[in-house]
Amino acid sequence: MVQFTFIQPDGTRNTVYATPGMSVMETAQHNGIGGIIAECGGSMACATCHAYFDADTIAKIGASEGNEHEMLDFAATPRSEHSRLSCQVEVSEVLEGAEITIPDSQV
Amino acid sequence: MTENPQTRAAAGCPMEQASETFRPFEHQGMYEFLASVRGDVPIFFAPEIDYWVVTRRADIEKIMPDADRFSAELATQPVFPWPDSVGRYLEGRNFSNEAVQVACDPPRHTRIKKSAAQFLNIRQFMSYEDAIRDLVRGYIERMRGQEEIDLVEALTYELPAQVVFLLLGVTDFDPKKIKAWGDLRLHMIWGDPNEHDLDTAARDLADFWDYTVDLVEARKVSPQDDYPSKLLALRDGDDAVLTENEIKSLIFGLLIAGHETTTNAAGNLLLELLRRPNQWQAIVDDPSRAKNAVEEGLRYVTSVVAWRRQTKEPVTVSGIDLPKGAKVLLSLASANRDPAKFDEPEMFDIRRKNAQEHMAFGRGLHHCAGAPLARLELRIILEELTTAFPEMALVDDQSINFTRTLSFRGPNQILVRPCG
Repeated sequence: MVQFTFIQPDGTRNTVYATPGMSVMETAQHNGIGGIIAECGGSMACATCHAYFDADTIAKIGASEGNEHEMLDFAATPRSEHSRLSCQVEVSEVLEGAEITIPDSQV
Repeated sequence: MTENPQTRAAAGCPMEQASETFRPFEHQGMYEFLASVRGDVPIFFAPEIDYWVVTRRADIEKIMPDADRFSAELATQPVFPWPDSVGRYLEGRNFSNEAVQVACDPPRHTRIKKSAAQFLNIRQFMSYEDAIRDLVRGYIERMRGQEEIDLVEALTYELPAQVVFLLLGVTDFDPKKIKAWGDLRLHMIWGDPNEHDLDTAARDLADFWDYTVDLVEARKVSPQDDYPSKLLALRDGDDAVLTENEIKSLIFGLLIAGHETTTNAAGNLLLELLRRPNQWQAIVDDPSRAKNAVEEGLRYVTSVVAWRRQTKEPVTVSGIDLPKGAKVLLSLASANRDPAKFDEPEMFDIRRKNAQEHMAFGRGLHHCAGAPLARLELRIILEELTTAFPEMALVDDQSINFTRTLSFRGPNQILVRPCG
């Protein structure tokens, strides 16, 4: 299991134990984390699972690319260099201790 | 251990009472009914339609994306099978519409969605924002100077059809004709039509299909910057990508999915706002509130109140065993007012923080591809109406009526005084 923390827009922190192989989006939904909506279920069609990853983690997992990179232009809360679609980030050891901030709005 | 529904029924339990009380086609009183049963009855059988009705969000969230155990193939089949005469007539008219999106399962769904999403996506939709705003302003100009209007007739009935025409590159068609076709199709599939209705509707359905075929054939000869041309280009003559009939079926689907639900969603939202003048005023004061008001409207009065699935294997839902082939009706209306998700769910509040977590557009691989477009249209309607008519008010003592269908809810008429 890998342990990391979701941070809500109001600062509330929820630390979860995640299963490698699942996506961060699936982990959020499995743990009842609000604000990661993922209406399309991970098919990169909606950009409603946008999240900001801390700088160290982004350096390890890499920035968004391809379709994910384009879709982030249309996220409801403006993207930053720390933005990823959480459906496209797979849980692995590199996420240990990561801090994942949920944006104000997803739609 | 699971419970036997027959045993529960014999005991006169709440589940049996829900079965007897539920009126699947009647929207008046639907939310009160759902609130009264959700706590004790997560699932019950509706004999009038032969469906199991699921009421709790937690169950619906699991079932809807679960394509392994629940098929979507019946999602657009008639609730009551059509008589053979309808099938024969449609066959004679070369009506070859096939399930391509909302009513097909993987891997077919995956292949077709891959192409459709090249055009039906938020990037493409946002490119229409200025054009949609111009359309809305055109309708608003025609409302000016009138003492009393029906908002449905004056705006929300036609506008979404006009937006579909933008996507299809159609500039010379009467939106009322498309709307009439759409209304008939909904009645045939999700209503409880009589045989005479069906014979009449079948002719119109075939005309609707012929129009779609002609449109696609025209784009083959002369491609434009629109949805059918994009699909034809992606196909590039390869049936393994998309067949021509699948393209025609996708266009046929858009001609209904692209406007009926948005017409209803706009009507539902405007009605609830105008019933609460302080919330209308809050948007007048700060138009940036329109965005969350749209989400609360989609939550509180979703235009798609229920959606269908069929079990592919025996499953257990909230303790009730369902056999393979059981038909399941997922109450999105109930999921959107489930207190397990929303505080004070029966209250309409445009400032609700988690309004966006509604299920109005479904969940999972069949999530509505047009959701960003619907949101865009609804937001623009609100922004423009509150700016043009800040004093708009409902006409007193009007009765609000809804068409009888299993899945779709929207007011047929909203009488307002534009200037209060």
